[in-house]
Amino acid sequence: MAAFCRGRHRWKRTNVSCLHVLTRNLTGKYDYDLVVIGGGSGGLACSKEAAQVGQKVAVLDYVEPSLKGTKWGLGGTCVNVGCIPKKLMHQAALLGSAVKDAKKYGWQISGPVCHDWATMAEAVQNHVRSLNWGHRVQLQDKKVKYLNLKGSLVDEHTVKGLTKAGKETILTAKNIVIATGGRPKYPTNIPGAMEHGITSDDIFWLKKSPGKSLVVGASYVALECAGFLTGIGLDTTVMVRSIALRGFDQQMSGLVTDYMETYGTKFAWKCVPKRVDKLSSGALQVTWTDTHTGNEHKDTYDSVLWAVGRAPETKALGLDKLGVQLNKETGKIVVGADESTSVPNIYAFGDISEGRPELTPTAIKAGKLLARRLAGHSTELMNYDNVATTVFTPLEYGCVGLSEEEAEKRHGKDSIEVYHAFYKPLEFTVAERDASQCYLKVVCERGGDQKILGLHFTGPNAGEMTQGFALGFQCGATYSHLLQTVGIHPTCAEEVVKVNITKRSGLDATVTGC
Amino acid sequence: MAHRLLVRRIWTLSAKDIRCLPASPATTASSSYSTSLQSSTARVSFLSPSRTLPRSLPHTSRREVSFNVQDHEDFTERVINSQLPVLIDFHAQWCGPCKILGPRLEKAVAKQQGRVAMAKVDIDDHTDLAIEYGVSAVPTVIAMRGGDVVDHFVGIKDDDELDSFVSKIIGQ
Repeated sequence: MAAFCRGRHRWKRTNVSCLHVLTRNLTGKYDYDLVVIGGGSGGLACSKEAAQVGQKVAVLDYVEPSLKGTKWGLGGTCVNVGCIPKKLMHQAALLGSAVKDAKKYGWQISGPVCHDWATMAEAVQNHVRSLNWGHRVQLQDKKVKYLNLKGSLVDEHTVKGLTKAGKETILTAKNIVIATGGRPKYPTNIPGAMEHGITSDDIFWLKKSPGKSLVVGASYVALECAGFLTGIGLDTTVMVRSIALRGFDQQMSGLVTDYMETYGTKFAWKCVPKRVDKLSSGALQVTWTDTHTGNEHKDTYDSVLWAVGRAPETKALGLDKLGVQLNKETGKIVVGADESTSVPNIYAFGDISEGRPELTPTAIKAGKLLARRLAGHSTELMNYDNVATTVFTPLEYGCVGLSEEEAEKRHGKDSIEVYHAFYKPLEFTVAERDASQCYLKVVCERGGDQKILGLHFTGPNAGEMTQGFALGFQCGATYSHLLQTVGIHPTCAEEVVKVNITKRSGLDATVTGC
Repeated sequence: MAHRLLVRRIWTLSAKDIRCLPASPATTASSSYSTSLQSSTARVSFLSPSRTLPRSLPHTSRREVSFNVQDHEDFTERVINSQLPVLIDFHAQWCGPCKILGPRLEKAVAKQQGRVAMAKVDIDDHTDLAIEYGVSAVPTVIAMRGGDVVDHFVGIKDDDELDSFVSKIIGQ
């Protein structure tokens, strides 16, 4: 039996390598029409679309374990350590608030309601695993060759794939697409940061509760994580070096963080961590400087989560050898409007490419369009404008278009009109919840039909709400269109179509009841 | 699916033919059971497939009846090359219906008292194997006899449906 099994494997291996030599030498053609390095949102969409339009495609996906040893399956950041687990844990936190509100609505809930991390984590992790499998089946169905190998470039038409053990596989391709995305950064100058801290790569896969947590950073990753940690009942502090949600409308950012502070998240503004030490108890002692006062402070935490930015996964790709141009500051791959790099027939898109939004939907769409162009089926380029997004903090923030600051910069303060309103979701009334940060604003051109330049909304279900308006935005909606639209009652979204107070007027923007 | 089944049949047939070249049972065992037990069980199954195993070998029959597949080699040995018909239960820890079907399958298999075996494959641990057998949704149960896929179903079945499914596999 053993002899038989070994024999079969030997035959298989020889046969395969013979086939490779045959393909390269005899016909001069490549093994594949397209090889995609990276099996995330972008890579999978691109490879499946390419197969759909008749290309012979292979996709390589490989997850380098995090410093803490966390690893995951096929699907990339979004599925495994991003959007999906984040939204599920955000939902877990929202349900906690809902349970508290429920009593006011008549539900007889005896005693305090507690949250069990292990139950939530297992459920979330199980769902993610089902998605890993789903993606695997989809690749099989669409006839995309899947290889769990760490890909790197040998030359413009050759990709090397390595197994964990170091075994090599060589693939040749007419075109190569790089969609390897990014990974969280660790601070390099803080002693103890790497040994004792975790990142978003780890938080969703923890089997035990992170306990009292310090989240360092003020990106949406930091705020969303801190948000759901607070929501499930954990003592959470956010340490912010300068401002929160850099790049987003700063007025809205303030509303988001104000709400979080009201609801129990602690903020250490203008503070910078200096060192992290592990105590004999196992707890982590963090020393930081308050840059306002110059004073040093210490406190202990069970977990320290670094959310201080993401770095592109380019190190192991062998890009410098081929002369693929990278942006010196960010390290991301410089790309043209058609996702091409400085090397012909090598393309890059998604989080790895410079100047692109780090979002799943843009990566998916860009990937599909690229696949079609490479197969010669289309010339359509990806439109990166007017992309709507939502930050899933405890008070969600949805937006599409320009921030007020950006609109002012581009058009001049006198050429824009900002309509705004503070509103109160009906559901908050009975629940006696504070709605001070529930707000919306529509930034428009001041003249003509008043084209809408940007729309911003904080409130429950901001993501669901903003999606519809994003369509209007894409169609070139104006303030007059807004006035012509009748609201759905009673909703929060109707306040957008009813908005009429301008910032310029200085009038009180609080909406009165119907 | 049918085409894939046919390919599977041809492949396993040739594999089985080679496997069945005169080789003493002693060389076959690479897993947990001792060779003498396995060979005697094999002899019994060949002679009287419908008779229950002698009561003197309860451990072997219970151990063989339901097991978790360890790797590709284990699968080849205990499933493809099994003398008994085998039900392969492709399942996943994240699959709710799998948790319902699993115990029902065990019950249906146990009722047959050693006339059919059950191989459990966790598709996250053995993704390639699951993909090879065309599994997409779980639970998927594939029935194999002499290395050939003879039947399969996807999703949950109740106890009666399972008993009938299993009987059909053994009866053929």
